[in-house]
Amino acid sequence: MGVAGRAPRPGSGGCPASRGARAWSGLPAPRPARAVGLPAPPATGGAAAPSASPAPVAPARPAAPVAEPAVLHVDIDAFFAAIEQQRDPRLAGRPVIVGAGVIASCSYEARAFGLRAGMPLSEARRLCPEAVILEGHAQVYRCFAEQIFACCREVSPAVETYLDEAYCDLGGTERLHGDLVEAARALKRAIRAATGLAVTCGIGPNRMLAKLIGKTVKPDGLARIGVAEADAFMRDQPVERVAGVGRAHARTLRSMNIRTAGELRALPVAALERLFGVAGRLLHERCRGRDTAVVSEREVPLSISRETSFHRDTADPAEIEGMLEYLAGRACRTARELGIRPRTVALRLRYGDGESAECARSLAAPSDADPVVLALALALLGRLFTRRVTLHALGVALSGFVRAGSEQGSLFEEREAGRRAALYRAFDGIRTEFGHGVLVSGRALHLKGRLEEDEHGFVLRTPSLTK
Amino acid sequence: MRTEAIDEAVAVRADFQGGKVTPLAFQRRGREHRVARVNAHWIDRVPRHPHFYFSVTDESGDVYQLQLQAADLVWWLDAVTVEG
Repeated sequence: MGVAGRAPRPGSGGCPASRGARAWSGLPAPRPARAVGLPAPPATGGAAAPSASPAPVAPARPAAPVAEPAVLHVDIDAFFAAIEQQRDPRLAGRPVIVGAGVIASCSYEARAFGLRAGMPLSEARRLCPEAVILEGHAQVYRCFAEQIFACCREVSPAVETYLDEAYCDLGGTERLHGDLVEAARALKRAIRAATGLAVTCGIGPNRMLAKLIGKTVKPDGLARIGVAEADAFMRDQPVERVAGVGRAHARTLRSMNIRTAGELRALPVAALERLFGVAGRLLHERCRGRDTAVVSEREVPLSISRETSFHRDTADPAEIEGMLEYLAGRACRTARELGIRPRTVALRLRYGDGESAECARSLAAPSDADPVVLALALALLGRLFTRRVTLHALGVALSGFVRAGSEQGSLFEEREAGRRAALYRAFDGIRTEFGHGVLVSGRALHLKGRLEEDEHGFVLRTPSLTK
Repeated sequence: MRTEAIDEAVAVRADFQGGKVTPLAFQRRGREHRVARVNAHWIDRVPRHPHFYFSVTDESGDVYQLQLQAADLVWWLDAVTVEG
């Protein structure tokens, strides 16, 4: 499948810095005097002028112009809903909601009625009775996202991806791309040609500004902000928009009558550190438009989670434990595929009355084996599921990863661990070849016949929420 | 909108020119459905051999999902989405 307007991959055509390099004559060109910090004058391309001094001097490397750091933020507009409209043209122009229980994504037509992600479906139906509600197709969304991220990797050597957005490091690519705004425009065209989807692009000197400037031109927009405009731009942004300010931090700041990034600047760094700990120092910089977080391809994810809601709220231990075993098994398989082992297992559950609970505990030693993770998850379930209320949703999350084989092994369990690893390698091989659902173990057998299955395993109720 | 799973292997007439595949028509229960429009296509690269998916609208206006499995080049009719 081709990508129209594809830009050459950085590095594929030789080192960009070597392009246009002048041939050196034996003597250096006289360096014109210039103020520090100003860009170097353009190269003339002619031969070097003779030196005033007859003594031979080693050629000096010309000062390379210091490129302004540039980050491109790519945000897929109304991601899930846009794909559903793409797959079925009868949905075009209609309010479309994707989600089960709550809105996971909604089209811009739906947003005109005041609908937004996270809103309960009951409220959404009241606000917009004509909305088309779909449960979603997580597998399809993942395929589209991968295609979009592949387009991003054509323009940037470092791409950090999330569910529906990506950060692309464009620093130092000016010689390759020329005008970065034009490069972003070409990327938008390429993504539309490959997937039919619209994305919003923001370019800024750092991640935070790139994302924020993109927000001002959604949907299908493109905007750039430079270092010079950053200060004024950030000043009027609500504190919630400052990277690192979540709901709790925002509540604290609003209680202090601090509503904008400009007002946040009045607080000295020591006060922010007292309020928010290490994050306080970051906020001190970020409210001034300075963000030092780098764009990096995460080889090791922060967490791997699998969660879903039940088709019908349940208190049946067999169903709950079966689902937990299935979710833990899926998460462990992903960890094994990435060659990482989690140290921490977390369990989340949501009751039918909306109340939720979460708990995490560490394993004795990092492990990617299903029974080890499941044993801890079951222990957490026993500790968390204490109310006499049916469960609506269940999820398991693995975190604190170490590379497989890099951790200190146990002296006496080495043989057993090796046998278990070989067993799960064989399981994974069979599942890759014939589909995840061909092997179902233990408690998860209880789900057989109750849930539909496809080549990816059981069809869960909220696939759009199943990460 | 209501999606009904079909999961049937079907015969598909397709164009493989230009390094990409475009379904033109498929047969189901002895009837030929001509593809009026390919709405979207995507590739699942997680399986060992990629699966190519197509959302197509036939001449009657119904929307079908076709799947070509690269391992054995067998076409599957996954589902149909109907109004209501």
